[in-house]
Amino acid sequence: MAYQVSIFLENKIGHLERVTSVLKAAQINIRTMNLNHTANGWGILNLLVSNPVYAHQLLNENGLSAALRKIVVVEMDDQPGGLDDLLKQIVKAGVNFTNAYGRSGFGSEKAWFVIDTEDEPDARTRLQEVGLILLSEETVYGNT
Amino acid sequence: MYWESELETLETKKLENLQASRLKNTIQRAMNSPYYGDLFRQKGLSADSIGSVSDIRKLPFTTKQNLRDNFPYGFLGRPQKELIRLHSSSGTTGNPTVIFHNRHDIDSWANLMARSLFCAGVRDTDVFQNICGYGLFTGGLGFQYGIERLGCLSIPAGAGNSPRQIKLMLDYGTTVAHAIPSYLNRLFEVFQEEGLDPRKDTKLHTFVIGAEPHTEEQRRRIEEMFGVKAYNSFGLSEMNGPGVAFECTYQNGLHIWEDAFLVEIINPETLEPVADGEIGELVMTTLDREAMPLIRYRTRDLTRILPGVCPCGRTHRRLDRITGRSDDMFIVKGCNVFPMQIEGVLMKIPEVGADYLITLDTINGSDEMIIEVEVKKDWFNGDITRLDRLSRLISSQIRDEVLVKPIVKLVEPNSIPKSEGKAVRVKELRKSLNS
Repeated sequence: MAYQVSIFLENKIGHLERVTSVLKAAQINIRTMNLNHTANGWGILNLLVSNPVYAHQLLNENGLSAALRKIVVVEMDDQPGGLDDLLKQIVKAGVNFTNAYGRSGFGSEKAWFVIDTEDEPDARTRLQEVGLILLSEETVYGNT
Repeated sequence: MYWESELETLETKKLENLQASRLKNTIQRAMNSPYYGDLFRQKGLSADSIGSVSDIRKLPFTTKQNLRDNFPYGFLGRPQKELIRLHSSSGTTGNPTVIFHNRHDIDSWANLMARSLFCAGVRDTDVFQNICGYGLFTGGLGFQYGIERLGCLSIPAGAGNSPRQIKLMLDYGTTVAHAIPSYLNRLFEVFQEEGLDPRKDTKLHTFVIGAEPHTEEQRRRIEEMFGVKAYNSFGLSEMNGPGVAFECTYQNGLHIWEDAFLVEIINPETLEPVADGEIGELVMTTLDREAMPLIRYRTRDLTRILPGVCPCGRTHRRLDRITGRSDDMFIVKGCNVFPMQIEGVLMKIPEVGADYLITLDTINGSDEMIIEVEVKKDWFNGDITRLDRLSRLISSQIRDEVLVKPIVKLVEPNSIPKSEGKAVRVKELRKSLNS
């Protein structure tokens, strides 16, 4: 089961650095991320890191509001139309998602599509059933 | 010149005698209520305890808490059959405060209101737009009855919807309007957005402003923006509503109608009367209310009686602008809010931490109440829609309680400064009050 770390952040100068300074001190690597915000002065930072459970603990100890959320990372072809084809498979699998982000393979590798599956308990099984390849924790976290 | 020339220019000694006899009647009526009846009999007090107005000091004070504790009929002095209206405070936590009126009370209030408007130069040839919420707000119907009693053409416009307010002014040639001062800044902006200049494009000559504290500077700014004279209006629902004290055309203090209200200014700590002209808490006794008389009601408003005689010739003394409160109530968009009400709502929402901060500020021309709330760490699960829903839930529950929709800001844990001793819950940043 792979996890992302989701952190509640106010949209103020210096707040994002509270996160990155903790990760730097603990030598935790960020694999990919997205940051969004709302009209209400706050947002959520989603991080795929090399050690999510440890990062979650550290961030909370340092006064931040962090949560672990289940994710799956689907391997896909890094080419035009790749995501379009993938989405058709995901629909077939009957998996819904509200948060997702991606990472290019940069030529030499497959691309990654990260899906937040916290609210979809059977997502992993259903995606595998339609033939999609889900990456292992080690690969996702980069701890091979 | 005067709505009721004899009464308004009544010699001070005669006014005091009138007050004394009305005070005696008031006590008699009050003793028909369960609350005052029991209390006065217990203390051996009656109408006979009053010889002159200074004897009022023999009587106990009445507080808002007394009203709440004896909700709903504890203060009622007439049979329910006679009542024709009630006005009540908002609030779903704890008991509200309710004021009951019979026909005499509504009639007397309408007259005081007409007298007040006439005092500020309003005449029956005026077209009067009441830009104020109706319903249980006393500003709506309170002004309405006074405007009609005076004989103006009334436009019961209600609050908000600035483009519509402007259209009404243009369509019907509004000459006088009543609104809360913080709203008028916004209204002026909308005039500008529509390419209009109220000084040239409307027939406005007078504004009546009240329901929230504001500075002299703000009043002058309103006068300049709209090309009008703006007069300060003071009231409180316990004393009917608007029509308690009003500025005359000299704009130098608000005449409080002493035939209808007995005024005292006390030191809120010692409860003794202050020296003449000193600032203290305004305490009021109704002199002409039948259904629900109130005796020595502590308004919590801080003000003073201006010394000297007004050139307008009215002998009813003048109150200064309200300078503050002896409790922690504040006013935003004309609505009274107690920090305790906000706290009551927040404490019932389990996802919310114990610390909060209320900031009152002016944003884009409008007064806003911003409430910062800490989200409980163990509740946060990274779901953005859950946070959004929580934010909206807090906003709507607070709005239901205090009738003002707040801007809710979720903040990180431990980001609201914890003070030692009494927590500072309200930060006042509005420029209109600090200039």
